[in-house]
Amino acid sequence: MSTVDDPRERLEFLQGTLEVLILQSLQAASNHAYGISQFLEQRSGNEFLVDNGSLYPALQRLLQRKWIAAEWKTSPNARRARYYKLTPLGRKQLIAATSKWMRFVEAMGRILAPEA
Amino acid sequence: MTMREWWSKVTRFAQRRRGLDTELREEMQAHLDLLTAENRERGMTAEQAQQSARRRFGNTTLTRELAREAWQFPAFDSVLQDLRSGLRAIRKSPGFSLVVILTLALGMGANTAIFSVVYSVLLQPLPYPAGERLVWLGESAGQASGISVTWINYQHWRQENHSFEEMAGYRTADMAMTGRGEALLTHAGVVTHEFFRLTGSRPVTGRLFAASDDHPGSAPVVVLAYQFWARTLAADPHIVGQTLALNGKPYEVVGVLGPELKFFPRPVDYYLPLGPSEGTAVKRSQHGSTRILALLKPGVTLVNAQADLNAIMQRLAVSDPGPENDHRSAAGYLSEFRTEDIRQTLWTLTAAVGLLLLIACANVSSLLLVRSTARSREMAIRGAIGAGRMRLARQLLTENLALAALGGCLGLLLASFCLRGLVAWGPPEIPRLSEVALNVPVLAFALVVTMTAGVLAGLAPVFTAGRLDLSMALKEGAPGSGARHSGSSLRAGLVIGEVAITLVLAFASGLLLRSLIAAQTADPGFAPDHVLALELQLPHASYKSDQAVQQFYSGLMQDLRAQPGVRRVGAVLCPPSGGDCGDWWYSIVGKPAPARSDVPMTLTNTADSTYFDTMKIPLVAGRGFTEAERTGGLPLAVVNEELARAWWTAPGMAVGNEIKLGGPYMDGPTLQIVGVVRNVSQMGLDAAPLAEVYFPFLQRASEGMVVMIRSTGDPASLIPAVRRLVSARDRDLPIQSLRPFETWMAAPLARRRFSTALLSAFALLAMLLAAVGIYGVLNYWVGVRHKEIAVRLALGASRSGIVRWVAAHAMRLAAAGILLGGAGAWAASRYLSSMLYAVSPADPTMLLASAGVVLLVAALAMLVPLWRATRVDPVSNLKDA
Repeated sequence: MSTVDDPRERLEFLQGTLEVLILQSLQAASNHAYGISQFLEQRSGNEFLVDNGSLYPALQRLLQRKWIAAEWKTSPNARRARYYKLTPLGRKQLIAATSKWMRFVEAMGRILAPEA
Repeated sequence: MTMREWWSKVTRFAQRRRGLDTELREEMQAHLDLLTAENRERGMTAEQAQQSARRRFGNTTLTRELAREAWQFPAFDSVLQDLRSGLRAIRKSPGFSLVVILTLALGMGANTAIFSVVYSVLLQPLPYPAGERLVWLGESAGQASGISVTWINYQHWRQENHSFEEMAGYRTADMAMTGRGEALLTHAGVVTHEFFRLTGSRPVTGRLFAASDDHPGSAPVVVLAYQFWARTLAADPHIVGQTLALNGKPYEVVGVLGPELKFFPRPVDYYLPLGPSEGTAVKRSQHGSTRILALLKPGVTLVNAQADLNAIMQRLAVSDPGPENDHRSAAGYLSEFRTEDIRQTLWTLTAAVGLLLLIACANVSSLLLVRSTARSREMAIRGAIGAGRMRLARQLLTENLALAALGGCLGLLLASFCLRGLVAWGPPEIPRLSEVALNVPVLAFALVVTMTAGVLAGLAPVFTAGRLDLSMALKEGAPGSGARHSGSSLRAGLVIGEVAITLVLAFASGLLLRSLIAAQTADPGFAPDHVLALELQLPHASYKSDQAVQQFYSGLMQDLRAQPGVRRVGAVLCPPSGGDCGDWWYSIVGKPAPARSDVPMTLTNTADSTYFDTMKIPLVAGRGFTEAERTGGLPLAVVNEELARAWWTAPGMAVGNEIKLGGPYMDGPTLQIVGVVRNVSQMGLDAAPLAEVYFPFLQRASEGMVVMIRSTGDPASLIPAVRRLVSARDRDLPIQSLRPFETWMAAPLARRRFSTALLSAFALLAMLLAAVGIYGVLNYWVGVRHKEIAVRLALGASRSGIVRWVAAHAMRLAAAGILLGGAGAWAASRYLSSMLYAVSPADPTMLLASAGVVLLVAALAMLVPLWRATRVDPVSNLKDA
């Protein structure tokens, strides 16, 4: 993918983060794969680069675990797409993973940027 | 992987594998459509929008594959896919595949065949309950080990030991069975009742021995071996209760044994109870030929068990002193018993086939290398369209394994074919050779070898594929053009290795071959041609006295001498190549007595007055035996040269001296030496001569003798007449064997011939494979240098200069291989030395000769590539560039 319009090198996902972020992106409303990748890129301030080679396998894994479900729907601009939505199980998982990742981020921050 | 994930994979796998693929395809297409639509909204043309969308999405194939992989069992699907493409590749280049498969089949077939022999002879557990704890026991004294155990010692061992769960005595006996048609020579296993329990035997009908059957005075009973009952007694269902006349004495049949028991190396026909006889029950030094089979208690080591028995022997030396106070015990595991001699031969052959397989792998490896270079473009394209590096390596590996598997299957076929030959041609004295089969452990071994060979042979190309520079491979026009030749040093290494291994094998088989030739042409010390050997064993029941025995033999020999076509007749107890029919300690009267542990041993033999003459064994000094020797007269002996030279500077000086049997510390007769004869190959043609003492037949009659009949014509033509004469003398006397004597001589060499033939065959195969390998590599080397050769020619190099250049490259490789192989051969020769006869392993001529042969093979393999190098046309080659 071209990075000409963005001189900064974008971040790749750490192991296990992509799946949590996908769950988070589906928390408010269901979405299709492209929508998810756009959501993640925009919300991260274009820091994250969502590679389809990672996104699609991650979606399949989440389907397998029954954390998300998929169905074909027509988008607002009248295009058919495969929409993913959170399952109750996935919602529970998201809550658990969110608190875990927050703790992780906090701990990383404490080490990397100690306050005084 | 969680349970849920796993289960979803299973159901998904079962239901909708195809559905998943279409679904992913559709989903991605929708994704692309969304991107395209956005691009159109931004004002791109339809074509631009599509292209840009595709660029942004990335590699759809790879993404789909990765997504699909989430549903798959790790690697299973892609392996299937690789396998399919591998089989397609195999079909696409049948010539190449055939060479690879055949090469591997050869290597793996040889390995599987030899391993199945190794397995059944050396590794397979004994078919007895707790077979790993079964040991044999004997007595030992000084330099002699494995002496028979006397009855009284056996009783003490049995009752006083703390190391064994159980003990059984066993020996064999040859007996004549009469009263059921023609007199039949039969073989008996004489065993105590525990024997059947130790070997886990069960009767198919009737009973086995009970403790009471071992007691002296109990009714004579016999248990039949299954095969004897089935074959000779026509599987008579009412056999139990009938009697068999054995050596003229009736034995009641009490049972028939199951067909499984194969304990004795020579199959026995039936079993008789072993008990004490008059002599053995009272005298602790009265030996028979009984050995002991014993079961170690769990956790007791052989060393401790032997120390236990030795302690008993030491106590006995005090409480029941006698001439054998110094006797101790000897012991060994049954699983190692009888395989000691063959062990080294088999491991040597295993090493040889292992090396052969290495060569085969090297060949295949270099072939695959050549092909992978040719396929570097294919690989580059696959890489460019999204195949990961691991994926490429895995594909190559799968292809190689598919090739190896095909080779392995063919190898198994080859092995099963070879095995039939091995069993038929192998020397019969190799224990359990008849049990050789392609059983589960052998198949498992074949599988492991196949996988290893596949990986080993495929490693080099995979390794180079991993390093493949995509852009380079794609840019270079023709495969292999330009200066980059991936794996060329690897290929050179393979050739060097092949040459080295071939040299080792050629050297080893050369040494064995020369040993065999030396053994076959060794002077046996007598004239073995034109001799018919008649082996007889007079049953003790009908020939009770020495006189009766002597009368029978002298009468029979007179009849034989009167037969037309018979030149001379003589008799001996133990003919040349007959091995050890008896040995004993001895000393020379008047010479200083050796220490107790250093008393020398001699073979003992019995010959009649005409034996040396008949066999043309030259007298070195003194005289042979005459018809005048009588029992009760001065005991006489003829010794062989080996014994005479051990004590006197000239063999003639032995004549008139006295030899004391039993040595200085034991009872034994003193004999006067009347003559010295030349050494004969008593232990076989390839064995060093041992000291030997001959007793005169007229002073020491023996019921079993081999009558030697020297014929004027073909000895085999006398066989019917000899049969007639024997049965005219005693129609109840079975003939043990009747065959030309040269077949006796061949038997001890059978194993040497067997191992030499196999090793030579492996060496020849190795040479063939190495030649193919050298040819292939050099051919390729020349092939990729066509342009270089063309340039050299254009710049003024002569054709002979090109030949020298190519040959120098080939010879450098060959020379390196020979140097390496020479070092290997030197190491191997030290291991081989015990298998050699009349050849020194350090013999440099053998090494030079085999190096010469290998060099010749390399030179022959070089010819075609050299010829191709001279045919390079500079004009067309340079124009192409």
